[in-house]
Amino acid sequence: MAVTLRKSTELFTVAKWLTRRDCRTLSSLPEKAKLASLEVTEKAETSRRRPKKVNPLLENRHAYPEFLPDPNPKWRNSLREKLERADMLKRRNQIDIPEFYVGSILAVTIADPHSQGKTNRFVGICIERKGCGLRAEFTLRNVVDHQGVEVRYDLYDPTIHKIQVLRVEKRLDDKLFYLRDALPEYSTFSFDMDPEILPEGTPVPINPVKVELKPKPWLERWERQELQGISNIEQYLTKKDKVRRELRKTPWEKYDLMKQYRKTIPIEEQTDIWSEVNSQLQQLQLARKKSTRKRTFSAPKTQLG
Amino acid sequence: MFPNSLKLLWGALQKSRFDNAACNIRGASRQPRFRPPYWYVPKERVWTDDYLTKENKQFLEEVIKDKLEAQTALEKKALTSPILNDVKKNVTWTPQTKRVGLIARKIGNYPLWCKDGKKVSTTLLQVVDNHVIKYIPPEEYKPMIKSNVKWVEKQKYGCILVGAENIDPSVVTKDYCGIFDSVGMLPKRHLCRFVVSPESALPNGTPLYATHFRVGDCIDIRSKTMDRGFQGVMKRWGFKGMPASHGVTKTHRRPGNIGSGGEKARVWPGTKMPGHMGNRWRTLRGVKILRIDTKYNVIWTLGVAIPGETGAMCYLFDTVLPLKRNKTAPPFPTQPFMNDVPKEYFEDTIHPFDEPTISYYEEI
Repeated sequence: MAVTLRKSTELFTVAKWLTRRDCRTLSSLPEKAKLASLEVTEKAETSRRRPKKVNPLLENRHAYPEFLPDPNPKWRNSLREKLERADMLKRRNQIDIPEFYVGSILAVTIADPHSQGKTNRFVGICIERKGCGLRAEFTLRNVVDHQGVEVRYDLYDPTIHKIQVLRVEKRLDDKLFYLRDALPEYSTFSFDMDPEILPEGTPVPINPVKVELKPKPWLERWERQELQGISNIEQYLTKKDKVRRELRKTPWEKYDLMKQYRKTIPIEEQTDIWSEVNSQLQQLQLARKKSTRKRTFSAPKTQLG
Repeated sequence: MFPNSLKLLWGALQKSRFDNAACNIRGASRQPRFRPPYWYVPKERVWTDDYLTKENKQFLEEVIKDKLEAQTALEKKALTSPILNDVKKNVTWTPQTKRVGLIARKIGNYPLWCKDGKKVSTTLLQVVDNHVIKYIPPEEYKPMIKSNVKWVEKQKYGCILVGAENIDPSVVTKDYCGIFDSVGMLPKRHLCRFVVSPESALPNGTPLYATHFRVGDCIDIRSKTMDRGFQGVMKRWGFKGMPASHGVTKTHRRPGNIGSGGEKARVWPGTKMPGHMGNRWRTLRGVKILRIDTKYNVIWTLGVAIPGETGAMCYLFDTVLPLKRNKTAPPFPTQPFMNDVPKEYFEDTIHPFDEPTISYYEEI
């Protein structure tokens, strides 16, 4: 009985809706009111969506973080920053410095007076990226012959011949120092790895892999750093460790607006910086795309020959 | 001479009471112990609300505009003067001559790379609107007397007043403005005197550029060190302090003993103790110039040990170190403005960023 009733009511509403739709030409007044209310809801939705709209200029801050100066006001000087940026772009015109993130796998070829052939190639996962301006640097980690190796490179070092990105991806954390205490397979990469090319326009994937730590002793107290990329940390923690972790937590810091402000460059200054360098960076990107296309075309020819 | 002064004395005696006159005689016979130069005048003005009308402000702007025009005219005159443009110079540079220096602002540090791939840290110094304010010849230049000197050598060196950074004339005192106004310039934020030999005299209003020094030369840099305030003995003098544990109480960062007993039962002069640290004039000598930007007048110097924080003012001189002095003649008396200079000068060992990547080759 109830079912039939509900059905009938449904039918009724549907019929009502249909009739109203059909009769729109006859009387538009109620429809208008409805439309107005609809618009209001739409507006609310758009206003909710509005923060998602971002300045395309500001998106550069993820790919080229070293163009932003150190936010410490003691070290700021507009002229020095400008000269530094000009030097960085000059260097970028000489070699292709690709877009990469912490967690990406890179191959760096560098001039080395002590090696045979005077160049040295190292492959590894980027575990850290830091520094601003010409001081920007990154660290690669790999396990070679069961021995962990880390090499720190200056991004704008003129002895670097080539920086090749073998796999672009991000990890769950900003720094991957815990790979030092993780099982070696998580930081082992073969030197003859082939570059994986992402199709154009795809966003940088985030690798959700969670590493397994070796038992203690560790280099740092990983449990206190709120790391996402570790799977088995709880099994090694003593009761005391857990208590200490709770005591050391600073959950209020994410609400500390002044702290956030001191750590970042304001949007106004960022837009100035990006509008200054954006056109050149775009040109460099275009040149890079062209060269990659050429490479893909030329590869089969060499195989044939 | 003698009867004249007697007469004066007699007059003074007649005019005033005896005890006053005696004081005057004593004062006149002695040289003043402290005689600062005439350009040492208070600069900061006590701020008052002037309630200027619109017309008043307009008038002030006009005056400043006129003065600026006069200043540019002076500059042009200085630049076309025979001292700077004479090809056959009657005065030449010798290793003994003292040239004028520059006033610069420390604007930060960043690395450069050598051509052999070595990374070097550099400090950037910006030379901001430097102008010669006045040349004072040796006869007129009387440096401040610091101690009771019995025998004074005949003055060999004159001095040049150099100003840096234009400022709004209404924010400084009238006296300070007057120094600049007497030579037809607008006031500058910084004023400094450089002791020079009379050959390197420059006309008033000559602009000085970063190209006054050459790439590869060594300079002395004088500026104030970072102010660290009242500091303990560990930070100020690098003492070790005392152990953190093992029963040590309340003496972890203290100096400990400051002397022995007996004959020396007192604090000896010069004992290292806590006190104010920094904010002192210090000179770093023999700093090499690696790169010069002619557009923004920026000098890159080797090393990061230049005193003062970012934004501190520094005075740059030709170095006095015997092994690092100029071997060949630098731009003398200074480098005049030129249109067709390259944008940047690099030292021979420095790798410019727009040159191809460094690579090493097998030695054959």
